[in-house]
Amino acid sequence: MIEVSDLSKSFVDLKRGAVTALERVSFEVQPGEIYGLLGPNGAGKTTCLRILSTVLQPTSGRAVIAGYDVTEHPQEVRASIGFMSGNTGIYDRMTAWEMVEYYGRLYGIDEPTLQSRLEDIFETLQMNEIRDLLGSKMSTGMKQKVSIARTIVHDPPVLIFDEPTSGLDVLVARAVLQAIEYLKGQGKCIIFSTHIMREVEKLCDRVAVIHKGRILDSGTVEELESRHNQPDMEELFFELIQRHDEELVHGGVGIAEGV
Amino acid sequence: MNWNNVKLVFLREVRDQLRDRRTLFMVAVLPLLLYPALGLGMLQMTLLFQEQTRTVVILGADDLPPPPLVDGDRFDAQFFEFPSDSDKLRVVTDATTTAELHDVDLGQGESDAEVVSVADQLRGQVNDLVRLEKEVESAREGGDAVEQEVLDARVAAIKGEVGEAMSTAGIQVLILVPEGLKQHIAEMNTNLADGQQDMLDVNPPRLQIVRNSADEKSLMAYRRVREAVGNWEDQLLQERLASAQLPESFPDPVNPDQIDLARDQQLAANVWSKLFPAMLIVMAVTGAFYPAVDLGAGEKERGTMETLLISPATRTQIVIGKFLTVLLFSMGTALLNLASMGFTGKYMLSIAGAGQMSKLGDVALPPLTSMMWVVVLAVPLAALFSSLSLGLAMFARSSKEGQYYLTPLLMVTMGITVFCLSPAVEITPFYSVMPVMGPALLLKAMLLANAEVSSLYWYAVPVLLTSVGYCALGLWWAIEQFQREDILFRESEQFDLSLWVKHLLRDKDPTPSFAEAGICFGMIMLLQLVAMRFMGGAILGLAEEQVPLRMMQLLMIQQLAIIATPALMMGVMLTTSFRKTFKLYWPSLKFLAAAAVLAPVLHPLTVELSQFLGQHFFPQLPESAQKAIAPMLDANQPWWLVLLAFSIAPGICEELAFRGFILSGFSRSGRMGLAIVMSSVLFGVMHMFPQQVFNAALLGLVLGLLAVRSNSLLPGILFHIMYNGIEVMRNRIDPGFWTSAPMDWLVTVEAVGEQTQVRYDWPLLAICGVIASILITWLVRHGSVFCEDSVKKSSDSDALSGATPA
Repeated sequence: MIEVSDLSKSFVDLKRGAVTALERVSFEVQPGEIYGLLGPNGAGKTTCLRILSTVLQPTSGRAVIAGYDVTEHPQEVRASIGFMSGNTGIYDRMTAWEMVEYYGRLYGIDEPTLQSRLEDIFETLQMNEIRDLLGSKMSTGMKQKVSIARTIVHDPPVLIFDEPTSGLDVLVARAVLQAIEYLKGQGKCIIFSTHIMREVEKLCDRVAVIHKGRILDSGTVEELESRHNQPDMEELFFELIQRHDEELVHGGVGIAEGV
Repeated sequence: MNWNNVKLVFLREVRDQLRDRRTLFMVAVLPLLLYPALGLGMLQMTLLFQEQTRTVVILGADDLPPPPLVDGDRFDAQFFEFPSDSDKLRVVTDATTTAELHDVDLGQGESDAEVVSVADQLRGQVNDLVRLEKEVESAREGGDAVEQEVLDARVAAIKGEVGEAMSTAGIQVLILVPEGLKQHIAEMNTNLADGQQDMLDVNPPRLQIVRNSADEKSLMAYRRVREAVGNWEDQLLQERLASAQLPESFPDPVNPDQIDLARDQQLAANVWSKLFPAMLIVMAVTGAFYPAVDLGAGEKERGTMETLLISPATRTQIVIGKFLTVLLFSMGTALLNLASMGFTGKYMLSIAGAGQMSKLGDVALPPLTSMMWVVVLAVPLAALFSSLSLGLAMFARSSKEGQYYLTPLLMVTMGITVFCLSPAVEITPFYSVMPVMGPALLLKAMLLANAEVSSLYWYAVPVLLTSVGYCALGLWWAIEQFQREDILFRESEQFDLSLWVKHLLRDKDPTPSFAEAGICFGMIMLLQLVAMRFMGGAILGLAEEQVPLRMMQLLMIQQLAIIATPALMMGVMLTTSFRKTFKLYWPSLKFLAAAAVLAPVLHPLTVELSQFLGQHFFPQLPESAQKAIAPMLDANQPWWLVLLAFSIAPGICEELAFRGFILSGFSRSGRMGLAIVMSSVLFGVMHMFPQQVFNAALLGLVLGLLAVRSNSLLPGILFHIMYNGIEVMRNRIDPGFWTSAPMDWLVTVEAVGEQTQVRYDWPLLAICGVIASILITWLVRHGSVFCEDSVKKSSDSDALSGATPA
């Protein structure tokens, strides 16, 4: 469903000069699977997911989603993904219903289908009481619900969540994670980025540790733990990152290749 | 194009804006309330406004001849057009203070006495002043500069003293009546009545009126005094004529009767034709800007931009949807403002009725057809401003930054508006294709509603067509902004100059960046502006025959210092490959050959084209420009110097700057066509005068094409030198050569004033046209291997600049 091979992205920054935000990243995600991208802030997670959502263009490499190449068929790619991140806000001067309806129409869903789909989603996500509430009057939790509804309104086969729980309180974060789990049960292909270990352990089928634009290692949580002889995910994460930084300092090139 | 998505975006944005109280206030509430409120305010102001009484001192009032000018402490009201005006001046005379001191209350009398005594002391100084000014005059005539300076200083000193004394004493105007004026006039009248006309009136005593026209108060008071004294003098004259039994028309033998053909409606049209275009422009800008900032920068700021970007709508669809929204609000604001202003203005003036404002005439609103034109022309104006505002708003990181961009946009449009308002500026073919000016001037002409409206319809075609073009360009730019990652994801980072300079010097590329090319052009233009002053000064005071030589020297210095040097310096400092930046490669011979053929072939075509356009389209070349190119036609100058100044120096220097540094920079955008067009437009702009701008921009296209296709600067230099060389030599060759056998059917020699001018005939133009089109087509189609290569490379490093990592 998602195939990423040798994806790289670089840009010029005033302070640092040419910066490589993403370097030869490759992975694959299957339907019914949740793939986790685990990394500290600035690791390249958002850059990677923005490329997958066609908002950014890759410098080199290839990404294919639901059979469409992100650079060659960006519109088809966007039609087959649902994307949610901290940067995809909702409109202040639109009600929950209008907001989701608007995106539904942009996806070209015909009106009767759209209306019944909206009713379903608002029912499932328990959003009927905020139907006619303007975005500016909503709490963070309500906004997050509207975002999820917006993400799934066109029933996309691929879902991309970029740190969906950042800045949320425990209750809302839990609800978001439950929603993602529910979507996995529906056979969606899900990619999920976070810097919180617990979420990875709880939710992801497979995980990639990403740092400074590179995938340091990837596999199921168990695989990773046994490979590095570390029973604890958090310790494992720190060890991988520390080792990578040391290798960079010593000028070593032999970094553990990603999958 | 999926218009459904455009419609969805448009409808959403409109609804969003209508729900925004600020926009509603700006677009609808403000114009509807503002003008009535302004009107009411002005009405109140006129009611509350009371002019302060000013003080006029008359010394020697007893010597004033009858009829009495002064009535108590006022001028006699009969001498004013509006009798109430006499209350605005308080007259203090020495006669009053002596004779009526006991009648007036004591305090007033005392202060009057003081004022009179101050004025009395000034009398001597005023007399000195009059005498000195006469001396200055005679010194000037005598040519005694030193004496004149001394006297001037004394005059200034006395003026200062008198002015100071008057303003401290609160005297706005001082009238000095010479002794015996009354008696003199009475004598004159008797003599005239007795028929002794031969009596010469030599050096009659004259009234002196002292004022300070640099002082507002004094100036206002003086205007009233002049009115009163003038009317009083007229009465004196009437009495004199009557006593001499001369007819009343004696001083006005002709007394022309003035007949004004302007009808009320036209007077009104005059008012509207100035107000409406100006208001339309200013309101279209403001009406476009605020919604645009909200739709562009505001959307980024609120974090909904990325949500929209991941929807299936393409970026072009999103921008067009947003553009239509901004256009709607811009037009709405502009037209509502005009309507509100028009109706309020008419209503207020009809209330004012008989008052002084009635002089403006009955300000009827323009007829319906003119109003239709207001609406029609509002569309291109609003569309242009909408696309520009949207582009700027997309570029801004935040709403606050977006608002800062309003000021320059508003300043530029205000400048154009003020220009268009000037009564001397009328619509011409040239102005009709200029942005903003075309619609504004056309509207002005339409509203003036003279008889020649039908000819204006012809202007509507170019105005509307070019407006659509400019708007399309603006929209394209806005879409372009919206496509760029570094602009969409610009983070609010602090701008640090030293960091930026460091970045420029550290992260150098083989060729300059797009922005660096722009800066290079900016520097050239700035230096040109600075140099203008020196150029003007350098030929001042030179003998006539030295001017051409000096002009050519200056021209060469200008080429070297102002055009080539900035480009070369920037090339050395900001790029790693000097050679690549300036395309210093040996080209393949075919390109040199193409350049060598194109130059003589294009020369006749462009010369005739600019001749034609110069006669029918462009404004006349200013005298200074004609002076600058005069040496080129001057047969007395050595031919090699003229060639050096007009062909070799520009050929090398301009190519280094425009096809070297600037084109290399623009090429980094990855689009060669765009790079060539932009570099040639700038090349044109550098030439300042409209004719040359057009011609240079056209040739710039060919030069750019040559440079890009050959990847060398040399063919361009060859072309440039040859082209300019032909222009120089064309008029220096003996006319006999042209009129002889093979040439006479290709070329005509015309006499222009003292000089002859060579004009090309149709057969020659046809041959040149065919050859030129073949060669240019070949150049356009010629294998662009080199270009694709450079595009690929540049897009790697450039297009991604500024995008932020997670």
